[in-house]
Amino acid sequence: MTSPLAPLAPTVGAGAPAARPIDPHRPRRRRALRLTRRGLLYAVLIAGGLLMLVPFFWMIVTSLKTRAEVFGAPPLSLPSGPHFENYANMWSAFPNEVTFGTFFLNSLKIALLCTVGQLVSSSMAAYAFAVIPFRGRGPLFGILLATLIIPFQVVLVPNFILYRTLPHPTSASGNWIGTQEPLWVGAWLGGAFGIFLLRQFFRAIPSELADAARVDGANPWQIFTRVYVPLARPALATLAIFTFMWTWNDLLSPLIYLSDLDQYTTTVGLAFFQGQHVGKWPEMMAGALVSLLPMIILFVVAQKYFVRGIALSGLKG
Amino acid sequence: MTVLRRRVHAGAVPRRRGGPVAAEARWAWLFLAPTLLGLAILSAGPILATAGISLTKWDLLTPPQWVGLDNYAALVHDKRFLVALRNTGFYTVVSVPLGMVLALGLALALNQGLRGIAWIRTAYFIPVVTSATAVGLVWAWIYAPSGGILNQLIEIFGLPPQKWTSDPFWAMPAIVMMSVWQGLGTSVIIFLAGLQAIPQEYYDAASVDGAGRWSRFRSVTLPLLTPSLFFTGILALISAFQVFDQVYVLARPGKPTEATVTLVYFMYENGFKNFKMGYAAAASWILFLIVAVLTYFYFRSQRRWVHYQ
Repeated sequence: MTSPLAPLAPTVGAGAPAARPIDPHRPRRRRALRLTRRGLLYAVLIAGGLLMLVPFFWMIVTSLKTRAEVFGAPPLSLPSGPHFENYANMWSAFPNEVTFGTFFLNSLKIALLCTVGQLVSSSMAAYAFAVIPFRGRGPLFGILLATLIIPFQVVLVPNFILYRTLPHPTSASGNWIGTQEPLWVGAWLGGAFGIFLLRQFFRAIPSELADAARVDGANPWQIFTRVYVPLARPALATLAIFTFMWTWNDLLSPLIYLSDLDQYTTTVGLAFFQGQHVGKWPEMMAGALVSLLPMIILFVVAQKYFVRGIALSGLKG
Repeated sequence: MTVLRRRVHAGAVPRRRGGPVAAEARWAWLFLAPTLLGLAILSAGPILATAGISLTKWDLLTPPQWVGLDNYAALVHDKRFLVALRNTGFYTVVSVPLGMVLALGLALALNQGLRGIAWIRTAYFIPVVTSATAVGLVWAWIYAPSGGILNQLIEIFGLPPQKWTSDPFWAMPAIVMMSVWQGLGTSVIIFLAGLQAIPQEYYDAASVDGAGRWSRFRSVTLPLLTPSLFFTGILALISAFQVFDQVYVLARPGKPTEATVTLVYFMYENGFKNFKMGYAAAASWILFLIVAVLTYFYFRSQRRWVHYQ
């Protein structure tokens, strides 16, 4: 099979319209035409790319301005100096010794717990679906795939009610509402996207490897952990990055389950700041920028895994 | 080798009882235990629970009361719900095709093998990984009625300032614009992957037959890209019905007025601010039905326009 997992490396040539048949009479004019077209394409793509970056540029510029500059000076003027105090003000704008760093750590903790949970539970299920023949495998996989099209908001009410019945030793309510547990425990119970992604990968691994391990007396768990998991590292990386991103960026779930400021994630923290400090745009932009940094760094470092994950789900959809 | 043969037919049922295959099947349930629990209590099971709860009146403080279809009857007459339905519909109908057409054009341009393209491509992808909450704040600032850069820009052209996020005419287009900006990269990536899967020989053959640029696009690129179009369509459709974060951030301070309230926001405010669980469940069940029905017809339509190689 052609590898759907090959990264979307530079797109040179591939799929581009073929060169036209050469016209011997007017080669120079044709060349000029091609250069013009190329130049135009560059211009449009670069202009569009800059347009895409305008909101980020505007975020940075505003975060370094004073509030007087924001409202008084002409909009396109640069800040009078880098006013980094906006960052400090935003950082400590919260009551009860809570800082933006608290939100940051909460987000990090929840996103990491979700990521590990998804890796463990999804790879286990994907192994069963890809490698072990068992009764009802086809229908069960079908049900799982069907959940891909269910918007998660549809099951929020029953999920909320479920977490409300689960006892919790340290929470004020006595149940899971108001704690961070509902935000990550579910990630340990599988997920259609990750199972689908990893199953595709596991199926491409030659079964001779598993057979060899079986002959050596390995049980399915050992085959899974020693043969399949190490070979699936690229797919696991893709799933890890996506899970981290979805969790880090989620607003609705933390909004519903969290009630105390010291439990907030960066997204609810930002929304809270926005509600409390109307019009403090420089501080708000500083906060937004800080909350975006981990994702942007992760993207720059691991772009190929992002692209691969989206492309793979697209090719096999 | 039996294992190998069985694997070829996904979902094949092992006939032999006992023996190594049955032993392995028992392992399968062990591997699947977390996922089965998740399906039962967090995803598939709760779909049915939502339907059940939607037939009750439940404020979480007193026991639920059976009310039959009353919640649905009330929803049909709830003006805010109907507006939410209309806003979500508008958002879907505008943002899905707009995003797909822009992404298709962009993917074609990015696929021309220009040097240095990787850097340009990154600019289009970055919004995808950012949270709608954080970038929503900068869009709120761009759209701000006083001091916002959009109003200052149109003032240069002598146009009157607008309340972009609260004016009933402009609010949904403003949200669509931000969402298209943010979601563009996802579709572009899928289209690029699709474009690169088209064999070069097809273009060569078309050229030999004398096909020009446009007719190569019409008769080779577009048909072979229909699976990617189909897939981005379903992704965009499902996520369009979930729009929430942008509304939550852009419509502040204050709550979304009727200019921007969407289905998920309506569900959120009834369920988790007013604790009308039955009412919120009825709204979510309607959301589910709409998505399910649209998905069903969308999948059925693929026979007519999607070409698999």
